Amino acid sequence: MTEPSDPAQTAPVSTPAPSAPEQAQTATENSPQTLPIRNSKPTQPTEDAPASTDGAKDKPLSPAELKKKAKAEKAARRIREKLDKEGGAASSTTPNPGVGAHARPPTTPKKDAAGPGSAQKGPRAPPPRRGSGPLAQNGSVLVEQKKKKDDKKVAIFGHLYGQQRRVTVAGATKEVHHAILALGMQLMDYTICGSSARCVATLIAFKRVIESYMTPLGTSLARHLTTHLSHQITYLSTCRPLSISQGNAIRALKLFIAGIDPSTPEASAKISLCEYIDSFIREKITVADQVIADSAAQKVQDGDVIVTFAGSSIVKQTLLLAHNQGKRFRVSIIDSRPLFEGKSLARDLAKCGLDVQYSLVHAITHAVKDATKVFLGAHAMTSNGGLYSRVGTALVAMSAKERASGVEIPVIVCCETIKFTDRVALDSIVVNEIADANELLPMNTPVSLVASDPADAYVPPPPENKKGANRTPAPEPPVTLHKSTLSPLANWHNTPHLQLLNIMYDVTPAEYVDMVITEMGSLPPSAVPIVHRMVTNL
Amino acid sequence: MPSSLALTPGLGSFLKCLKTNPIDTSIETLISLLKRRQIRHSRSCATATAYLLRSVISACRTTDSAKLIERVQSVGRRLMAAQPREMVVGNIVRRVLGLIRDEAEDDRDAEFALSEIGSESQPQTPRAYDDPALPLDRDSPSIRPDDRSSRPPLTSMFSLLSHPEPENSLPSTPGSSSPNGRLPGHGPSKDVRAEVLEGIGEIIDELGQVDDQIAAYALDHIHSNEIILTHTSSTTVQKFLLKAATKRKFTVIHAESYPNNHEATHATVSGSASDDDNLGLEAFQKPLIEHGITVILIPDSAVFAIMSRVNKVILGTHSVLANGGLVAAAGTRVIARAAKVHQTPVVVVSGVYKLSPVYPFDFDSLIEYGDPSKVLPYEEGDLVDLVDVQNPIYDYVPAELVDLYITNIGGHAPSYLYRIVSDHYRKEDISF
Repeated sequence: MTEPSDPAQTAPVSTPAPSAPEQAQTATENSPQTLPIRNSKPTQPTEDAPASTDGAKDKPLSPAELKKKAKAEKAARRIREKLDKEGGAASSTTPNPGVGAHARPPTTPKKDAAGPGSAQKGPRAPPPRRGSGPLAQNGSVLVEQKKKKDDKKVAIFGHLYGQQRRVTVAGATKEVHHAILALGMQLMDYTICGSSARCVATLIAFKRVIESYMTPLGTSLARHLTTHLSHQITYLSTCRPLSISQGNAIRALKLFIAGIDPSTPEASAKISLCEYIDSFIREKITVADQVIADSAAQKVQDGDVIVTFAGSSIVKQTLLLAHNQGKRFRVSIIDSRPLFEGKSLARDLAKCGLDVQYSLVHAITHAVKDATKVFLGAHAMTSNGGLYSRVGTALVAMSAKERASGVEIPVIVCCETIKFTDRVALDSIVVNEIADANELLPMNTPVSLVASDPADAYVPPPPENKKGANRTPAPEPPVTLHKSTLSPLANWHNTPHLQLLNIMYDVTPAEYVDMVITEMGSLPPSAVPIVHRMVTNL
Repeated sequence: MPSSLALTPGLGSFLKCLKTNPIDTSIETLISLLKRRQIRHSRSCATATAYLLRSVISACRTTDSAKLIERVQSVGRRLMAAQPREMVVGNIVRRVLGLIRDEAEDDRDAEFALSEIGSESQPQTPRAYDDPALPLDRDSPSIRPDDRSSRPPLTSMFSLLSHPEPENSLPSTPGSSSPNGRLPGHGPSKDVRAEVLEGIGEIIDELGQVDDQIAAYALDHIHSNEIILTHTSSTTVQKFLLKAATKRKFTVIHAESYPNNHEATHATVSGSASDDDNLGLEAFQKPLIEHGITVILIPDSAVFAIMSRVNKVILGTHSVLANGGLVAAAGTRVIARAAKVHQTPVVVVSGVYKLSPVYPFDFDSLIEYGDPSKVLPYEEGDLVDLVDVQNPIYDYVPAELVDLYITNIGGHAPSYLYRIVSDHYRKEDISF
């Protein structure tokens, strides 16, 4: 898929032959009512949300109808994404033939949710390659495959599997700015990782979006830019669910956009927006980090043994600052699979001359044994005082509070107020983020992308007669094939009843947190909702 | 030794070597295996020790129990010195010593009873301590006294094998099998050695069956639709769960115990476990997933997050201490603590042979540190130079974090373990 050229000129698809995905997109949007007109492209100059665009084009829709359509679209998108993900690993070869096949019949206008979903999907991915495959079997293969995928979903986390992560840029709508596409990739593979970093990167990317944005005719910047940004946001959230900080920043930005006087000339509005973003980053993150590091570094004393978990940028800043202030202390970094974020923290600290000890989650007890303080970074602070952070943080905080010696050590969280949220969390299950379970496979094995694909790729070839019969033996060859050479898990996708769970976060109960250091001061965790209100009301 | 070179060093190679080589070579072999940690798992160590002691005793051409004791003690000391943290070695040595002492006392008692000499103070101290409690038994049938004192340590394990009711282990039930085994009045000096060898055979049998015996309790502890969390690839736990899986449906959450045991855990979970040396004797076990049990593999870090949904934590262990605490794979303590915080019961499954009469005072001395390159591979050379990497292999888990122990003789509260210790080891052998 080529990247959509310029998101600024989104809807006026003046290009005669829009690339397949776009067409598919619009087609499905129409599909509930007017599937047959799939080939006519929406040439409406309005650039509102596509839903309203084609709604206006076909016929005026009642709000209820609109809603219904939106729902259908959403369902369709879901399905598409799910299928995409399934095939995604295999560069989406597998599902496509099936859906490509599906895509042909849907001219019957009866199909709704499911129909458009597949219709949309078919042309999107390379249909010409295998689209001509037999129809029915592939469909059922798909269903079975989906069932199989469902089997891989841990039941109690079922609600979190909703949004499948995107694997490639393929299928991005043309509204998505290239800066966002790039950012999406970086978020996807954790190149940009960490709440603050994601927030800053998003804001900077938005700045570029805004700079290249041109208000289309007949609408005002304040009205239209928000929807334009929504496309970017939707795209980003398919790459990786948005962090709380990203959400907060986006909310603030949208609020600011909405507050722009429509009569302001576009150029100056854009300038003021960019300035707003710059100052937002400066105030909420850059300077806030300095303030936090400053006051957290004061908590470090000579002779301290400081335990930290994974790699938090703000903790790093704090420790480096304390080190530069001439304090002598030891740092014990606890790290975890699969991201090993602590490694880079250990490297950075050690290079600056700190005394660093490195161990993994299994050694928490040993690391905490002679610790004097625990410094933790945060992904978010919930309104009930919980610390929502990289999975494993809770174990560290708990160990600090329940040491063998009976002496509790202070647990200090460094967190910008931009990460505060009004959500509450009692456990780590309701709210969480599921990452790709393949990340859990041992690193030196050619990860499932390779391992599972042969299995998936096996599916399309034998579509001849027996579908069910073929399905079962298909996974077998890879089983034997990989067992000898790869990790025993390499083939987990085809091992029934075996599930891998890779959650990203956990919630540390408020009672394990002694202090939250923010740019507004040092607080107990119970003060989070108050500060959050203060900050958001400003 | 040359024969052992053919195999990878381990239990298998040792047992082979034991058959062909002179006894002293075998002792040296085991010592070096222990030192090099080429024989690791508790059960492998215990089995190797038991076989070695059997050879030692059969090679020892004496019927004098004192000499036997001395010999076993000296071998035992060397083994223990080779790997002090492998506590099962000491446990097995103590069990064997106890056997010899019991046999010796049987003989002596028999003699006393026959000659009607009531000199209670003459025999070894524990008997004197025991005797005043049962003066009536003392003079009646000649067999009685040895039932009282020697049965619990000697035969309790054996009689359990045949009918595993926990009560049988209690010293108060001199089982029906008491008179037949050894005819005390009969040629007293002749078969101390034979009896001891037989006893060691029973210990070896016990080691072979212990997991199945423990598994027999599984249905008492696992109900339907339970969510069970476990850790490491312990065979005892796997068998326990497998046994329950034949009758009930539940979900297992398996923490992968990275970096020391994750490969074995992955293999266990996915059912591609290749028999390591300690399992050589066992039939291939079907993995849980083939019984339709959903197994969820999680990284260790996710334990706290998921603990709120877990009904029960079932842990294997490296060794159990007399105070009810245990030494288990690193990470166990955090899991047990997280379970405590969530009010989730923690069940430890362990054979009695892992129960050590050691009272821990210096916890750090119990912990063994492993290969740091598993934590930070040497590919990261620059980092390895700069940071201090730690890879503890064991955790000490205090007794208050454990709710229940299940051994091959039943379920016990941690506070009861001292009693089992005193049933299984003679006081004079605790520090030999």
